[in-house]
Amino acid sequence: MTLVMPKVDQLILDDKEKIVRDLKKFTNPINIISDLEGITPYETDALSAYKQKPMAVVLPENTSEVSNILKYCNEKNIKVVPRGAGTGLSGGALPLADCVLLGLGKFNKILEIDFENRCVVTQPGVTNLALTKAVEHKDFYYAPDPSSQIACSIGGNIAENSGGVHSLKYGTTTNNVLGVEFVLMDGTIMRFGGKKIESEGYDLLGLITGSEGLLGVVTEVTVKILKKPQSIKALLLGFQKIEESGQCVSDIISGGIIPAGMEVMDKPLIKATDDYSKAGYPRDVDAILIVELDGTESEVNVLIKKVEEIAKKNKATYLRISKNDDERLRFWSGRKVAFPAVGSISPDYLCMDGTIPRKKLPEVLKEITRLSNKYGLRVANCFHAGDGNLHPLIMFDSNIRSELKKAEQFGADILKYCVKSGGVLTGEHGVGIEKRDLMCEMFNDEDLQQQLNIKEAFDKNSLLNPGKVYPLLHRCAEGGKMHVHKDNNKFKDIPRF
Amino acid sequence: MSEIYSPSSENDVSNFIRESHEQDTPIEIIGQNTRPIGRLIQCSKTLQLKNLNGIIEYFPEELYIKVKAATSLGLVEAELDKRDQELAFEPADLGFLYNGKSNKGSVGGAVSCNLSGSRRFKSGALRDHILGFQGVNGKGEIVKSGGTVVKNVTGYDVSKLIAGSYGTLVALTEIVLKVQPKNEESQTLLINNINLKKALNIFSKAMQTSVEISGACFYPEKSLNFFKLNDLDISTSITALRIEGPKISVVERVNTLKKLFDEYKKTMSVLENYQSRIFWKNTTDLEFFNNTESVVIKIILPSVNTGQFINQFENEELRYVVDWAGNLTWIAIPQNDSVLLRQLRKAALALNGHMTIIKAPNHVRIREDFLTTVDDNIKVLSLKIKESFDPKKILNPGKMYSGI
Repeated sequence: MTLVMPKVDQLILDDKEKIVRDLKKFTNPINIISDLEGITPYETDALSAYKQKPMAVVLPENTSEVSNILKYCNEKNIKVVPRGAGTGLSGGALPLADCVLLGLGKFNKILEIDFENRCVVTQPGVTNLALTKAVEHKDFYYAPDPSSQIACSIGGNIAENSGGVHSLKYGTTTNNVLGVEFVLMDGTIMRFGGKKIESEGYDLLGLITGSEGLLGVVTEVTVKILKKPQSIKALLLGFQKIEESGQCVSDIISGGIIPAGMEVMDKPLIKATDDYSKAGYPRDVDAILIVELDGTESEVNVLIKKVEEIAKKNKATYLRISKNDDERLRFWSGRKVAFPAVGSISPDYLCMDGTIPRKKLPEVLKEITRLSNKYGLRVANCFHAGDGNLHPLIMFDSNIRSELKKAEQFGADILKYCVKSGGVLTGEHGVGIEKRDLMCEMFNDEDLQQQLNIKEAFDKNSLLNPGKVYPLLHRCAEGGKMHVHKDNNKFKDIPRF
Repeated sequence: MSEIYSPSSENDVSNFIRESHEQDTPIEIIGQNTRPIGRLIQCSKTLQLKNLNGIIEYFPEELYIKVKAATSLGLVEAELDKRDQELAFEPADLGFLYNGKSNKGSVGGAVSCNLSGSRRFKSGALRDHILGFQGVNGKGEIVKSGGTVVKNVTGYDVSKLIAGSYGTLVALTEIVLKVQPKNEESQTLLINNINLKKALNIFSKAMQTSVEISGACFYPEKSLNFFKLNDLDISTSITALRIEGPKISVVERVNTLKKLFDEYKKTMSVLENYQSRIFWKNTTDLEFFNNTESVVIKIILPSVNTGQFINQFENEELRYVVDWAGNLTWIAIPQNDSVLLRQLRKAALALNGHMTIIKAPNHVRIREDFLTTVDDNIKVLSLKIKESFDPKKILNPGKMYSGI
């Protein structure tokens, strides 16, 4: 592992046996795991190129246990890494050698379904999809739908502010969560928001959503649920040039239409996904665009017609409108398996996650092709065109020496180009460790210091998920992007080495 | 008399605050000075941002607009209107409330107060529509967060923290807002002469359907004595449901609602596009409290508790209006009735809600709490957050809470 992480505290490791013994006082002793076999499954999340076994794993069962464990660790100066379902793609739950890994897997119950207030109160370990499953008998659903929704937990969704394919119209997690119970590193139990529509004072709920487990641990969540739209239809469009699909997307939005979902896939991905899923995609096109529209039956029909006209104007050579729900889901079937499909044609792949202004898509794709040739690595692209979120999938073989490093450099170059194009480093996967050292591309010294100061307000000793999101001092200085002032207090909450 | 400084650039703002930081001098920040909201504070210096105005960039197809902080909200809306777009959170024109005249104030002011219109429960609050900002913190440092794209999880979402922070964390210099296509058609189903309980049931029932109402408010009979609605001659209570979207869909959904609430068909009517838009503009802009002398408060409750809340005060001559499908109640009470003011606050708290004073004469602003927060842990954390931006607490000190 080349990534530099906070210095291991040998005194803590030396004290491991006592710490494990102490932790057993706070929860059922079977919830503490410290043997090698037991902790190994926790050594990585879905960014599996990076592995590190924690000192111990704790699986508390209720909020007061979480509070007591955090309070104890805070007093003893022990680092804590929170973990939901471990499906994160940016290494946000990667353990540290001297940390207690706090798993929220036992918080797996839905506490209350309140149709009258149109919300669900749940423990954070419940999966995203389980929320929809719990309310769909009354035609309700939970809107954010990250592709890992079958496995990812709602607590993890809050940590990452997860999105999905419908976020242009329905927002991301932050727009759909009403309240949380939240435990600070010093053990303080707090409540932000609740069933009421908004709270007063500083928007602490908004701040902690997407904070990647650096500010506190979520122990209960209230989300709003929506009524399912009456009708949903999709168009599957094919274009000879990727530019035409990009222009089509811009024209749809300029035409005053906000589709529920809009996805572009490039030629390599069309082939990979169609081989894998038999979705029936056209093979003789450079790009496909899936446009999903929802609303009342007649509204959807009007919008479909409008999009059809826009597509023809932009020289779509393939155009198909879903006749029923089965066909609509078939359009999506390829897109939904994009990642495993790429996994089937390459031993390994890295999934990137930049967001760009929609109109820059052709330009950014051109640059990705250039970089693909430069690094000699294949790449396939899918694009949440509605919200500008681009996922290049870089293919490599970790058995070949240096290919991982090459793939990472390729990915970093793509993200830098996204930022240069007016976009951002990450749309929905989070910074974690993966993009940590690229933060200086987007933020300067003052911006980052301000965010670190916020971290200090929540976690004075910087013990909660340290080493994530924000670059360690010397990395930025080495990168030459952040000059170090005389101020010796700079990044004082991050260990120096 | 406070010394007023009106810088013309972000760097000047930064220098001014840096100097004030060094000298420990508190600063009151104002934009166009149209919203006297918050606790009354006294500072020896005033930072007026009115010269930081103008649209920096507007890309309709990218669905965002970037403006300097003191840009007039009216100007922004006029620009968006040219491209058939709008701010989906429906910013209120509180000019009517404060002095009887239209005055939308600045974008920065709106962001600082996080006030949202009648579409709030469907489209989110202002805080859901701010994509990024740049501003100067209490040390004089220029800091930014967010960007111009809607999907962005790079670092903490500081924009949300800034929305509704009443200028206590940064002096805003630039703001990026998400914009949306305008709805082609707006229609409103009106039901007259029913009580609040029935109105709340109607809201709840409508929200259980896929009709997607985008406005739901209730004017009790009493409130219509002091408010003329559109040019309609209505003397009984009004329950209103708004439906927006493509015309064909709006007509269809209005018909669905008519069927659903068939039992009220005798007192039911529909406001067509033009009238419907006026109705909701009047409602969002609080024109029913036009230039009132009263204290105006905002109560937020889980919608199922609103009926019980109002019932507790049925002996009072409460002038109130319920909006946001039952989640929001606006109330006007006499200036000197501090007993009632405190009773309302206590009742809101007991029903898991809160109360905010939106308009009050200075003597009330000095005497009464502006916000309701009672949780000491929240106050402690809020203070730490304040200090992380503004360690000497010089930016709008005490505007939200005493000491913050």
